[in-house]
Amino acid sequence: MKNQRVWMVPIMIVLGMVMALAPAAQAAEVYKLALSLAITGPTSDAGNPYSKGVEDYIRYVNDTKMLKDAKVECPIRDDQYQTDITKRNFEDFLADGIVLYLNYSTGSTLALKRDFEEEKIPTIPASFHAGNLEESTYIFLPISTYSDQCIGLAEYIVSNHKGDTPKVAMFIHPSAFGRAPVEDVQKAVAAGLKMEIVEVVEHGKDLDNTALLQRLVSKKVRYVLSQTVQSPVATLLKDAQRLGLIATTFGEEGKLTFLGAHYTGGNDLIELAGTAAEGYCWTTSYTLTSEPGDGTTFQLMLAKKYGRDDKTANSHNYTNGMMVAQTAVETIRRVQAKGGKVTRESLYAELNAMNGAKAYSPGNTVGPVTYSPTDHAGVDTLQIYAVKSGVFRSVGKPFTPTFVAKIKK
Amino acid sequence: MTYFLQLVLSGIVVGSIYALSGLGFVLIYKSSRVLNIAHGQIIAMGAFITYALTVWLKIPLYISFFISMGVTFFLAMSVERIFLRRLIGEPIISVIMVTIGLMSILDGIIYLTPFGSFNYSFPDFFPKTTINIGPATISWTQLVGVIVTFVLIGLFSWFFKRSTVGISMRAVSDDQLASMSVGISVPKVFGLAWAMAGMSAAAAGGIIGNITGLNFETLHAFGIIVFPVVILGGLDSIVGAVVAGIIMGLIQQFASGYLDGKWGLNGTADVLPYIILLVILLFKPHGLFGTHEIERV
Repeated sequence: MKNQRVWMVPIMIVLGMVMALAPAAQAAEVYKLALSLAITGPTSDAGNPYSKGVEDYIRYVNDTKMLKDAKVECPIRDDQYQTDITKRNFEDFLADGIVLYLNYSTGSTLALKRDFEEEKIPTIPASFHAGNLEESTYIFLPISTYSDQCIGLAEYIVSNHKGDTPKVAMFIHPSAFGRAPVEDVQKAVAAGLKMEIVEVVEHGKDLDNTALLQRLVSKKVRYVLSQTVQSPVATLLKDAQRLGLIATTFGEEGKLTFLGAHYTGGNDLIELAGTAAEGYCWTTSYTLTSEPGDGTTFQLMLAKKYGRDDKTANSHNYTNGMMVAQTAVETIRRVQAKGGKVTRESLYAELNAMNGAKAYSPGNTVGPVTYSPTDHAGVDTLQIYAVKSGVFRSVGKPFTPTFVAKIKK
Repeated sequence: MTYFLQLVLSGIVVGSIYALSGLGFVLIYKSSRVLNIAHGQIIAMGAFITYALTVWLKIPLYISFFISMGVTFFLAMSVERIFLRRLIGEPIISVIMVTIGLMSILDGIIYLTPFGSFNYSFPDFFPKTTINIGPATISWTQLVGVIVTFVLIGLFSWFFKRSTVGISMRAVSDDQLASMSVGISVPKVFGLAWAMAGMSAAAAGGIIGNITGLNFETLHAFGIIVFPVVILGGLDSIVGAVVAGIIMGLIQQFASGYLDGKWGLNGTADVLPYIILLVILLFKPHGLFGTHEIERV
């Protein structure tokens, strides 16, 4: 009997310790997010800094205990821009119990749309394709769609053009990503936007765009609106410079003024095109490090803290990745603040409630992130930037394209 | 007429660069009957090495260009020595599979460097002014690209036709066993063919990189883009590569200049070369200048 009592003592101590530590263990929750994107392969020049933006912000959240004792885990996997690999990654992540998923490409977002619906998992992709939102309830775009961006640029052309109806050519990537805004821009024209789309050009890996450029000039095209990545735009700009076809003033007669959506611009375009990029007009919803502010100061601090080089630190795709991670973490924080359990359902509901007074300002966008059950495009405002002396500088104030609403009616 | 001449000039420029890019395929196939699927990666490496030497080590561009050719000469030779030498005598398909593996390895190596994820641009080296040839214009970069292409192709043609080593390489290409029986070292010939292909790839990379900027995806795609060129010209013909390159360049420019934008057509420059390739191959299955082998049973 005495022996039995001796054994009971350590057992009671252990039980007591377990009970005492239980609340602490409960508090140290881990919220699982995941990102699959192209760190290698096509578009990896955008995917690589994007992944670093996500990685650094999540590290920062954990290092600074932004979510108190809770941790955020966000494994990042390379899918080489291949949808089958993205799908495999996504299934692995699901098995791991993620509550929110970060996707990347247009192709894989469209392909996995049904999976997101079936799994009821809120998803934020890097693709801003408006088609992502069709027949979808769980996809949330970080910023305005490619369509909105191109319509915004088209409105900018119309409001700054002098003379007759401006003639515009669209220079697009030969993929779903490139074709995404064409129909909507055409709808905007049909809805009364006073410009003429003379040609839609799907580019290849062209070494010389002489034929294209001269054809456009012969058709009296004055503006080339691009929805692609930087490299083909840079080659186009350099050829235009060689042929003396770059407008020195916006809309100069007999010359071409070049404009482009989010993935056509940034510092990489200036790096690739050199002086030919001068005057290039670009739109995005992000702030740039070339124009310091609170958001960009934080971005540069973050990049420095985690040992990123200057190229990464100043990349708009680093900002892009950071902002997506910020939005995901903010959604978690809001659920946490309400004392709710962080699940797919609660995050979905919280994202849909991110509007009005609850709109979120991450600091590195030109407007707030707003979502609602009927609006899954985050930042609705756009900023026009133009290259001046080798640096992108903002032109005018952030704006919301008016024809976006008109074509949705 | 000015428009036509400009398209002709642009077609010749693009075609010359295609020819230089395709030369590496021809050099390796000519001596070993192997298709090097990793050729585009070597083109990209050549461009990146030139950039690293020029910008990071501050070596003048034209010197970097030649050093890069030297580096890829030894790099390609090493690749042949390490991976392919032991496959001599094995079925060709095995060797081609190894080059596919090699492509993945080189991709992986490049992705470990900043060149795998960032875009770069060579510093301005040539004058920004254009050169007028009649009513048409050409940039200095393009002109130098064409000159380098023709000089290199001329040198390689001379090498294969006149030099002892070049003749040995052609002999190995015709019949490995017969070549060995007359004392030609087949492994050395293979190594040299790879080395020369590496050298030509670096030259192509340097020129393409100067035109398009340094983007890995764009650069290594040229390994595939020039494939129809070498098939059209004949896989074992240097002259074929030049002629087919210029034909392809001209077809692309004319297609883009005269067909695109009309009758709802778009992107014909990317499709038409393949259609013409198929038609020509129907009548000349070995390409325009390829060796037509007759097997006697």
